[in-house]
Amino acid sequence: MKELRMILKKEFIHIIRDKITLALVLAMPIALVLLFGFTISTDIRNAKISVLDQAKDSQSKLLVDKITASGYFQVVAYPENEVEIDNDFKNKGIKLAIIIPPHFEDKLSKEHTANLQVINDVSDLNVASILNNYVRAVVQGYTEEYNQDSQAGFDITTKMLYNPESSSVYMFVPGIITLIMVLVTALMSSITLAREKETGTMRMLLITPVKKIHIIIGKVIPYMAISFIGTIAILIISVTVFKMPINGSLLMLLILCIIFMLTSASFGLLISSISQTQVDAMMITMMGLFLPTVLLSGFLFPLNSMPMVFQVLANVFPAKWFILAIKDVMIKGSGIFDIWMYLLILLVMAVVFIIFSLTRLDKRN
Amino acid sequence: MYSIEANQLTKQFGEFTAVDHICFQVREGEIFGFLGANGAGKTTAIKMMSGLLLPTSGTATIAGYDILTQSKLIKKSIGYMSQKFSLYGDLTVFENMQLFGTIYGIPRRELKDRIMASLRELDMDKQANTLVDSIPLGWKQKLAFATAILHRPKIVFLDEPTSGVDPIVRREFWKLIYQAASKGVTILVTTHYMDEAEYCNRISIMAEGQIKLIGTPEELKQQMGVDTINDVFVKFVKR
Repeated sequence: MKELRMILKKEFIHIIRDKITLALVLAMPIALVLLFGFTISTDIRNAKISVLDQAKDSQSKLLVDKITASGYFQVVAYPENEVEIDNDFKNKGIKLAIIIPPHFEDKLSKEHTANLQVINDVSDLNVASILNNYVRAVVQGYTEEYNQDSQAGFDITTKMLYNPESSSVYMFVPGIITLIMVLVTALMSSITLAREKETGTMRMLLITPVKKIHIIIGKVIPYMAISFIGTIAILIISVTVFKMPINGSLLMLLILCIIFMLTSASFGLLISSISQTQVDAMMITMMGLFLPTVLLSGFLFPLNSMPMVFQVLANVFPAKWFILAIKDVMIKGSGIFDIWMYLLILLVMAVVFIIFSLTRLDKRN
Repeated sequence: MYSIEANQLTKQFGEFTAVDHICFQVREGEIFGFLGANGAGKTTAIKMMSGLLLPTSGTATIAGYDILTQSKLIKKSIGYMSQKFSLYGDLTVFENMQLFGTIYGIPRRELKDRIMASLRELDMDKQANTLVDSIPLGWKQKLAFATAILHRPKIVFLDEPTSGVDPIVRREFWKLIYQAASKGVTILVTTHYMDEAEYCNRISIMAEGQIKLIGTPEELKQQMGVDTINDVFVKFVKR
């Protein structure tokens, strides 16, 4: 116990005396979450559009009012014909045009149907598809109201579960927490262990009667602690600045984070156990852990749409399981009974990584 | 009883035989020099004797313990210092000694006294709270030696302890080695410096994983018919 305390003390001294790294590790989570929060937002406000209203009756005006009132769109032009629409795309920078057919109101009341035409600027695919969805949502809302008034047809009520405002914060906060934890715990623990190999202090330690598990714990606990501070900072910013909800229990969330940090740190040790220098450790962590975490965790790119090989590969990386779990806890408010399987997977991974690192440290053969 | 006793100790890495059936004994309190060109197998031999590496065949006893089965006990009875300076640069002198002292199980109250006494002997007690990175290399080497013997080991392995150090510090370093040996500590030292070989009680010269020559410096000089160990080495290499 005295030995473990002393080793932990030594590791904390390493961290505290390396001021630059410490500052980086503490400031990075805050910088990253703000960066992502303000730049990666996929919500679009006040997109420029033009409306060609060929009907000019009360219903078409009502529809245009609905569109402007939604806040997503700003009607910058009312062209008279389709040629002008083309010019609006080129000269006025509109992203989308809506054409309301002639006799809109008549058609609605007599034929119970009318065709709206929507023209998109698809030079930016993401923006186009998001705006298209907005138009659909607005038109749907309009149709529902119209149907209620006329007491006719069917009625669709959409209820947006878990993310009523379709906010992108819900997507990126779990992702950012994952990235930070992987970066700080895995990268830092793998680099410091590789550094000891590089400087020869690891051989010095191994020649002493020190317990190898103590060396491992010494490399895991301090970086978990640092990364935990970062996680708390991200959570506070997410909740206060970006209005991210924590629907599940805070305790559950923190336990989940601690388990994931343990898994990440042990992954870092696994990496340093197969690398000889700090540069090796860094490259392997970046290519072998960080990239897959970004690409294969389902944080930026949906896993379901990937080729089968990658969907299977994603299971090997802890991030996928953590993101599933943290989304459940933060957004759906799930408890231990819903996510115990994810926790178990993460714990088993940690144990496997640690055992492997231990055997690599003890390579007397 | 011998402090170190190697019997047909062998280590193979694949096809390559790094250490080839070496046999030798070192008495308690003896300073035993391990000489040989780079790659002759000295470091591999030390690694096996200090419990970092298992031999392919053969055995050795260190302080009476078998390296095959009692490596835990061996680790407690030896000290080690490597050619590469390997204390923690971002820890202070005191913190380094405290760390290794604690790992070797020196009781806390006694540890502080021992560290301060050891630093006074080195005339470094004022540097106790200095970061190791900021003291000169020669002092670092002396500090590493003091740390290696802090837990009062029966045997100390010194793997090229004086490489890169100036002659004055080397002489001071050898004074420390003699001091330790006079207290009954067995010293096994590898070195490149032939003048240092003369300081040893006995030396062995290794090549291709085998011990080719062994004896006191005087014996070896007589055997080869030359005046210095340097000449012994040169003549041996030419042979």
